[in-house]
Amino acid sequence: MSWLTVAKKDFKGARRSKSLWAAAVLLGLVAVVLAYGNQAFRQTEVEAVQGLFRTLTQILAVLLPIIALTATYMAIAGEREGGGIKFLLSLPNTRRDVFTGKLLSRLAIVASGVVFMYIAASSVSLTKHGVFPLGVIAGTLLLTILYGSVFVSIAVAVSAAAASRSRAIANALASYFVLVILYVFPDIQVKTVVQGIHTSLLGMESNPDLYNAVQYTSPFLAYQKAINLVVPNRLEQQLFRDSATNLDGDEPMWATDVDLNLPVYLTDEFSLVILAFWLVVPLLVGFWAFKRTDLE
Amino acid sequence: MPSIQTNGLTKQFGDDMVAVDDLNLSIEKGEIFGFLGPNGAGKSTTINMLLDFIRPTEGSAQVLGMDAQEETAAIRECIGVLPEGYEFDDHLTGREYIEWTIETKAADDDPDEILDTVGIRDDAARKASSYSTGMQQRLAFGMALINDPDLLILDEPSAGLDPNGIQRMRSLIRDRADNGTTVFFSSHLLSEVEAVCDRVGVMTEGQLVAMDTIKELRKKAGGRESIMLECATQPTRDAVDDLNAVSEVLIEGTTLTAYCADPAVKADIVRQVDDQADVVDISVDETSLEELFNQYTSGGRDGMAQEEANTEFEEVPV
Repeated sequence: MSWLTVAKKDFKGARRSKSLWAAAVLLGLVAVVLAYGNQAFRQTEVEAVQGLFRTLTQILAVLLPIIALTATYMAIAGEREGGGIKFLLSLPNTRRDVFTGKLLSRLAIVASGVVFMYIAASSVSLTKHGVFPLGVIAGTLLLTILYGSVFVSIAVAVSAAAASRSRAIANALASYFVLVILYVFPDIQVKTVVQGIHTSLLGMESNPDLYNAVQYTSPFLAYQKAINLVVPNRLEQQLFRDSATNLDGDEPMWATDVDLNLPVYLTDEFSLVILAFWLVVPLLVGFWAFKRTDLE
Repeated sequence: MPSIQTNGLTKQFGDDMVAVDDLNLSIEKGEIFGFLGPNGAGKSTTINMLLDFIRPTEGSAQVLGMDAQEETAAIRECIGVLPEGYEFDDHLTGREYIEWTIETKAADDDPDEILDTVGIRDDAARKASSYSTGMQQRLAFGMALINDPDLLILDEPSAGLDPNGIQRMRSLIRDRADNGTTVFFSSHLLSEVEAVCDRVGVMTEGQLVAMDTIKELRKKAGGRESIMLECATQPTRDAVDDLNAVSEVLIEGTTLTAYCADPAVKADIVRQVDDQADVVDISVDETSLEELFNQYTSGGRDGMAQEEANTEFEEVPV
């Protein structure tokens, strides 16, 4: 169980980090401001609070990866650069213990931050609107922790594979760009690029399902689709409306009661598979790299 | 069973940089072994291979009879390590580092006792990152002593320590060795190695160029001693000419200097010169170990091992 002592020490150290507390306070403030400003305009109090938590997830979709990556990218790279790894590995710890311990500690840290934010948002909402829509709050909380964990996993992997701080920063930035930024702005879409290659270079017939499937590999989109699973229909966000089976349809952006007829790999449920992939695969790759590298 | 055994241990970085070249070491239980060499000789690389921080490109190493690459956790149960080039950069106090080590090693040491032993108990409640280099070194040494390890691996242990600290560390090392702990001690400081080690291995450019006791090494290096006699009247060469072991005699005024390969002949020199021209003062000069060291390492990285040795004693608050 020596991963546990690695995790405990790491968590203890992180708990005393001023910058982590600053980040937590900032998150709490964002939550409070959002919750306080949230009005039940032409809707019930419950609907208003449900809407608030969906808005929160939309903000966190962009923000949480940054928090998770910055809180984690130095987890192992920092020990390597500072030489702390020499103490860790002179004691009866294996590299697996160090990797596992660091991962669990950082997962706990990021999850605590999310929970903190949720406590802030839900208590302000409860005071202001007198309601606590448990289903939406618990559902989005769990998915948000899962989403944060995906980026912790990526950052631990990046950190384990990097020999220095600068390398770890570069890799963390690159993963944020490739996995989030590329999907945020509608003008520079991955699927447009794929489409261009597919139709122009390869001369194939246009296949929106394929492009959407490629687009859907992003944890950023997967998270948003996953949120659809736990919020009421009216709050669902419809993506991939141009998919083959719906080409003729002229669906509204916010479909209220019509579920798009999508292939299984584009459904909301499939998002969990994608998130699970991003949770596990980076860890395997990162650990493989860490296990065989020379630590100096 | 040797405490440390390496068989043709080799580490090559890239295509042409051989950091450690075909190293064969055997360190016996209870021995204090000095691993000597200039900076960049491959000492730390060797230690890093023993600890599985880096992997050999050829050869193998056994620590306490266990394979250094395969049985890392079991080895780490039984060893104490003072690494080189570390930092205490977590937000933890000195005591917390000690407690963490005790917990990880599942030991039953008393943190206060360890802190006392290395002399940092008064500062135990402060963050270790605020310690001076010497205090960090004491803390790291304290961590290495926890759970009474069978083997202590100390990489440049005196770096940053003040003379008192060095003295304390030496006596702790001797105590532990007397109780059966094997000590593997790397240093570029001859004085260190000379003061505590039973046996010495000299490493240069990745190769072990000598391994023996200091006394034997000195003999092998062709070291000689000189004896200088201040006399009442001017002595002559005749006084010592019949002694075979005397290789050279210099006379300047009333001072006679004789060089000899065999130290035992010094008494004869004194006796015979005294018969001829009353000896009033005697001084003896051994071949300095620095010279010996330089002989083996061709002067080290920049031919100035001596200079490094002198600047190492930085000022550290106690």
